[in-house]
Amino acid sequence: MKNEDLKSFLPLSPAVLHILLCLAGEPRHGYAIMQEVVRQSDGQYQLGPGTLYDNLQKLMDQGLVSEAPRPSADDDPRRRYYRLTPFGRRVLEADVARLKKVVREAGLRLKAPQPGRV
Amino acid sequence: MRALYRSLLLMHPPAFRRRFAAEMLCIFDEAAATLGAFGLCLDALISLLRQWILRSGSWKLAAALLGAFLQVVAGGLFWLMLDRPPGDAGRPDLELAAMEWLLRFIVASVCAIIMLVFATSLWTRHFTRRRMHGDLR
Repeated sequence: MKNEDLKSFLPLSPAVLHILLCLAGEPRHGYAIMQEVVRQSDGQYQLGPGTLYDNLQKLMDQGLVSEAPRPSADDDPRRRYYRLTPFGRRVLEADVARLKKVVREAGLRLKAPQPGRV
Repeated sequence: MRALYRSLLLMHPPAFRRRFAAEMLCIFDEAAATLGAFGLCLDALISLLRQWILRSGSWKLAAALLGAFLQVVAGGLFWLMLDRPPGDAGRPDLELAAMEWLLRFIVASVCAIIMLVFATSLWTRHFTRRRMHGDLR
């Protein structure tokens, strides 16, 4: 996979970035993703089920996320688990690298003395 | 509230409903107490509109209908502008010219709408195909 191919997915929307981050560690079901997004963002970003499944549908169609087997048989049968695909991981890594550059640039610019200031 | 939420889920497009409705209802059962049943119903309503209007391609039909409506209104106004002064009433040559202009306008409008919808469909299909296959080799 060439880098140019990954670039067409970037920048990721905040919802997609959070969802992919949630799935980077382990497969999760929908509600667990919603809870993890709240935890990751210190409660500043909350995903509703409608937004979550709209994005999951898109991500699965694009091959970034796939369905994972249910870890235990006594789990609620309505629950389905999702995991990041290797391609999804590469897209996430590419976006994180992009964000690092943005943060580095912001750090440099905010540190630099502003003209006209004493 | 659960019945309302379930009804909203049932109104989603079939493909989305088959894939996710059971899970969304499961989340409602688990989270209604903490997230609030009203908020979840509102979320389902927004999702319903999003899935039908943006994701199912119905927006193309809606855009075409809106375009057609605007063209009809514009055509009506154009017709009024061509209204003859009272002295010219009954002059067949002016009436014929006005009719010809109106017909040309309608034909051009219909062609424009068809071309717009056709071009948009081609563009979205090309875009989706590129994403689905080109980038996932």
